[in-house]
Amino acid sequence: MNMIMVLIVLMTFIMVLSKRITPLVNSFAVQSLFLAVIVFSEAVTTGLAGLYAIAFLILTLKAVFIPKMLKNVATRTKAGEHLGLVINPMLSIVCAVILAYLGWIFARKIMGLTSIADASALAVSLSIMLTGLFIMVFRLKAIAQVVGLLVMENGIFLAAVALCGNMPFFFEIAIFFDVFICVLILGIFVYRINSLFTHINLSKLNTLKG
Amino acid sequence: MNYLNPQYSLLLDPFSLFFLFVIFLISLPSAVYAVGYMKNEYTAKKITYGWFLFAAFVFSMAAVVTTANAFVFLVFWEIMSLVSYFLVVFDTGKKQSVNAGALYIIMTHIGTAFIIAAFILMYKHSGSFEFSAIKNAAALMTSSEKNLIFAFLLIGFGTKAGVVPLHLWLPYAHPQAPSHISSVMSGVMIKIAIYGLVRFVFFVLGVNSLWWGNIVLLIAAISCLVGVIYALMEHDIKKLLAYHSVENIGIILFGVGAAMVFIKLNMPVLAVLALSAGLYHLINHAVFKSLLFLCAGSVYKATGLRDMEKMGGLIKFMPWTAAFFLFGALAISAIPPFNGFVSEWLVFQSFFAGALNCPTAGARIMMGIYASVLALTGGLAAACFVKAFGITFLAMPRSKNAQEAKEAPFSMKISMAFLAILTLVLGLAAPFILKIISNIAVTATGPNQTGIWPPVFSLKEFTTLPSSNGLIGISPVLILLMLVVTVGITVALVYVFARKRKVSTGLTWDCGYYKLDSRTEYTATAFSKPFRIAFSFFLKPYTKTEKIKESQYHIKSFRYELYNTYVFKKYFYKLGLEITLRAARYLKRLQAGSIHLYIAYIFLAILVLMFFYGK
Amino acid sequence: MKLFNAALQLSVLIIIAPLLSGIIRKIKNNLRLRVGPGIFQPYYNIAKLFSKDEVISVNSSCIFRIAPYVVLSSSVAALALVPAFMPQISFWAAGDFLAVIFLLALGRFFLALAGLDTGSSFGGMGSSREMFISSFVEPAAILAIFAVSVAGGTTNMASLSLVSFVRPSAIVAAVAFFIVLLAETSRLPIDNQETHLELTMIHEAMVLEYSGPSLALIDMAAHIKQILFMTIAVNAVLPPAVSNVLLPFAPLSGFAFYCLKILIVGTCVALLEVSIAKMRLFRSVDFLLFGFLLSAITFIIAILGF
Repeated sequence: MNMIMVLIVLMTFIMVLSKRITPLVNSFAVQSLFLAVIVFSEAVTTGLAGLYAIAFLILTLKAVFIPKMLKNVATRTKAGEHLGLVINPMLSIVCAVILAYLGWIFARKIMGLTSIADASALAVSLSIMLTGLFIMVFRLKAIAQVVGLLVMENGIFLAAVALCGNMPFFFEIAIFFDVFICVLILGIFVYRINSLFTHINLSKLNTLKG
Repeated sequence: MNYLNPQYSLLLDPFSLFFLFVIFLISLPSAVYAVGYMKNEYTAKKITYGWFLFAAFVFSMAAVVTTANAFVFLVFWEIMSLVSYFLVVFDTGKKQSVNAGALYIIMTHIGTAFIIAAFILMYKHSGSFEFSAIKNAAALMTSSEKNLIFAFLLIGFGTKAGVVPLHLWLPYAHPQAPSHISSVMSGVMIKIAIYGLVRFVFFVLGVNSLWWGNIVLLIAAISCLVGVIYALMEHDIKKLLAYHSVENIGIILFGVGAAMVFIKLNMPVLAVLALSAGLYHLINHAVFKSLLFLCAGSVYKATGLRDMEKMGGLIKFMPWTAAFFLFGALAISAIPPFNGFVSEWLVFQSFFAGALNCPTAGARIMMGIYASVLALTGGLAAACFVKAFGITFLAMPRSKNAQEAKEAPFSMKISMAFLAILTLVLGLAAPFILKIISNIAVTATGPNQTGIWPPVFSLKEFTTLPSSNGLIGISPVLILLMLVVTVGITVALVYVFARKRKVSTGLTWDCGYYKLDSRTEYTATAFSKPFRIAFSFFLKPYTKTEKIKESQYHIKSFRYELYNTYVFKKYFYKLGLEITLRAARYLKRLQAGSIHLYIAYIFLAILVLMFFYGK
Repeated sequence: MKLFNAALQLSVLIIIAPLLSGIIRKIKNNLRLRVGPGIFQPYYNIAKLFSKDEVISVNSSCIFRIAPYVVLSSSVAALALVPAFMPQISFWAAGDFLAVIFLLALGRFFLALAGLDTGSSFGGMGSSREMFISSFVEPAAILAIFAVSVAGGTTNMASLSLVSFVRPSAIVAAVAFFIVLLAETSRLPIDNQETHLELTMIHEAMVLEYSGPSLALIDMAAHIKQILFMTIAVNAVLPPAVSNVLLPFAPLSGFAFYCLKILIVGTCVALLEVSIAKMRLFRSVDFLLFGFLLSAITFIIAILGF
């Protein structure tokens, strides 16, 4: 379990490092894969049927389907591979490390020093969430926003599963559907934005300012 | 969440009943009037819509005065404001109506915000919105909290009542509404604000400090003067009447403020006198102001004009309207034996009694000064109504519209007649009515420190005023009797001695210039010119002239425009608006239009929260 | 009995009102080293006007016709409320000095309307100026009488006359009220009763269109208003009760003392009229403001107990 958590954090860092869309999406897919493995192992240990379903959903949707769709949108919009970095990769890594550290401090504050395992799980999920936000803020292309949102969602899942060992099934399904529809719509929007403006560079939105 | 289950019992104490009476006393003639007024002006669907709004308006006002729960009060207060907004913009075609409505709704909501703030402060202490619970909790509030609540209540209710400097919406909203709505708004709705103020200050909170009464008196004095000076400058009949509403609210607040001062100085007898004066003037103003608005509406319906300068000679075409307007003008100028005279007399008496009996010399001198302010406004109001009645109804018509005026239909005439008779009745029956009103005022001012309830007044024997070693009294009936007897004797004398005289008609003295027509008549602007000059320090009039010359010596045409500077609009509102807009423009930089920036804000917020958690 | 006394006093005052105007005019003419008409000339004028025909402007309405009656009756009703010879002899139950002031306002209201009614610019000008002057006079008058009433503790004019000594505040109040008197009775420096230039008229301009018996009624009302204000002025300084202290033989001595006081005031008015010129309309505002300040000072002095 801990190994896989470390791998997830590694994938997060790789996401932050990536300068192009394809590596970003691929690393997101791998991260989701690892997440599915964690959920599966949790399902095996606790034996809840819901968790099996959730693991399966994560695997299909977030590790396979959504990355494929995103890559499809990227190629169709011909937006170019470059992500539009605001901060160069070195500095991004430094920021990601700082965020991870912040997550650790916060997790310790909440959990206390007694349950290190829980604290580390919370720390990891927090760092994933914060990194997701980071990607949303500091990458200019619209696809990065979508990926950042999904990464945040991954982090929340991880927190729920690692800490509570369970998530109410309906809650899970509801969130899944939410995210699914979200991504669908965002994908459509990105395509349409591109067809209208011939670019998906979101920093150009400030020309709309009154 | 117990505030969501208010007690639906009605509060029907004498004070509420008095206001309920005023509401229905004015709404009934206005409704009858509306039948004739709306008949050919609007489509049938719009008339139905107008009736629905009118009914909702009256119902909401009645609900406001009969509820014992502050939350329900607020709900119906909002409904009242909202419905009156729709009524103000009833003539949706006209841009002026829409603008006036926008200004009205913004200002009334600012006032409501202050009232909500006051209610929340009261709720914090009492834990319930019921008046009785708040009253019990009021004993536990500290003095500074009560002061804050009072300040909020004063601003909130003052906006609705139209005291200066929160009066800006009144001269815009009241003229634009249809006339029967103007009469109800001016006659009743601004009185509901007075109801709120008196209910919460006298009944619920209890008068706490002396400065409460003093500031109400000061605001009242300023409102009186500002209202009447601006009214003198107006030539739109309805705007003139709206400014007079500001002035008369000032007079009502004179009574209320004096009552507050007397309660705090432990002079309950005088407090009852002052509050009775205020309440009497309230009902009097409701009657004569609505009468005047209905007459103005009748003039508008007949001529299509509201500008006085284009009217004239209407007394020959609309004699009934002119007669009723004369009744209203005499009443508002405090001319005996009408009702305005009685209530202003009572306000004078309360000031005079204060001047005799207040403990400090400063308070006594201020009472005298306020009395002279009231005298000044009375004189200016009379001048204004001489202008209004004289220019509108007398002499020759100044435009074709005025020449083609026709008398109002029956439903309008009968409602105006009812109110006109009422002005006379409320004046003549003054002793009887004052007894009723002082009984009501006693419930408001409560017993004095030692628990003794003050005796009630009657007009004929003012012996209960301390240190009056004689009787004061007026009897409007006797005054009317004297007038009638003298007129009778004079008529008899004239008949006896001048029976043989011949009365013929001729042209007005024209000083040799034989082509006198309506262009050479006196105009309203000219009538108020002495006042404009006398008050120029406040009005700051300026002119714009434009000369078109044919040659160096011959001027072909000359254009002269005269403006008054509206100091409140310019220095108070425009300044406030400027500051707000400038601040908004400065803050606009936060909104850069970039999504990344917005998400960064969220990011930052999360980081800050995490960082400061648990500290 | 009291009612009969009051009615008697009222009738006597009405009868001697024109005589007072005649006497003032005679004094003025004597000061100007002229002969002029006799002191009974106002009576002859009224009689003459009653015998003349009346011409009414074609533009005017019923307001024009009823105004003279309203003006006269309001002046008489106001006079009825003021005690002159004996203290407490008046129809005090009907009103106090506020009622007096507002009754005069009734007369002024209708007179101003009549000025506007005929459609002539002179009438309008007169109405405008009259309302302008009177709105500044009212505060001064009310505050001055307030000040004097502080001694009596009531605003009833009858009780005012019960005060049996002269207070310093009363003297200053009398000066303030003298200014009010000048304004209300259309005397110089506010208004000139003898002018024939319409642009300088205030009261006369409003009644320019009147003729015949109506004009007689309005003239009578002006005389009555004059004697009313003079009565109030003298009764503020030297109340009739003083006369009771000074002299026995009550009614006649009261009447004699009253006539003496009125003559003194009339002489002051005449002296002032002869020696001063009419002020510009907007300068008269300053003059009236001075009167108001005097009243305010009087009030403050009275409050402080003097």
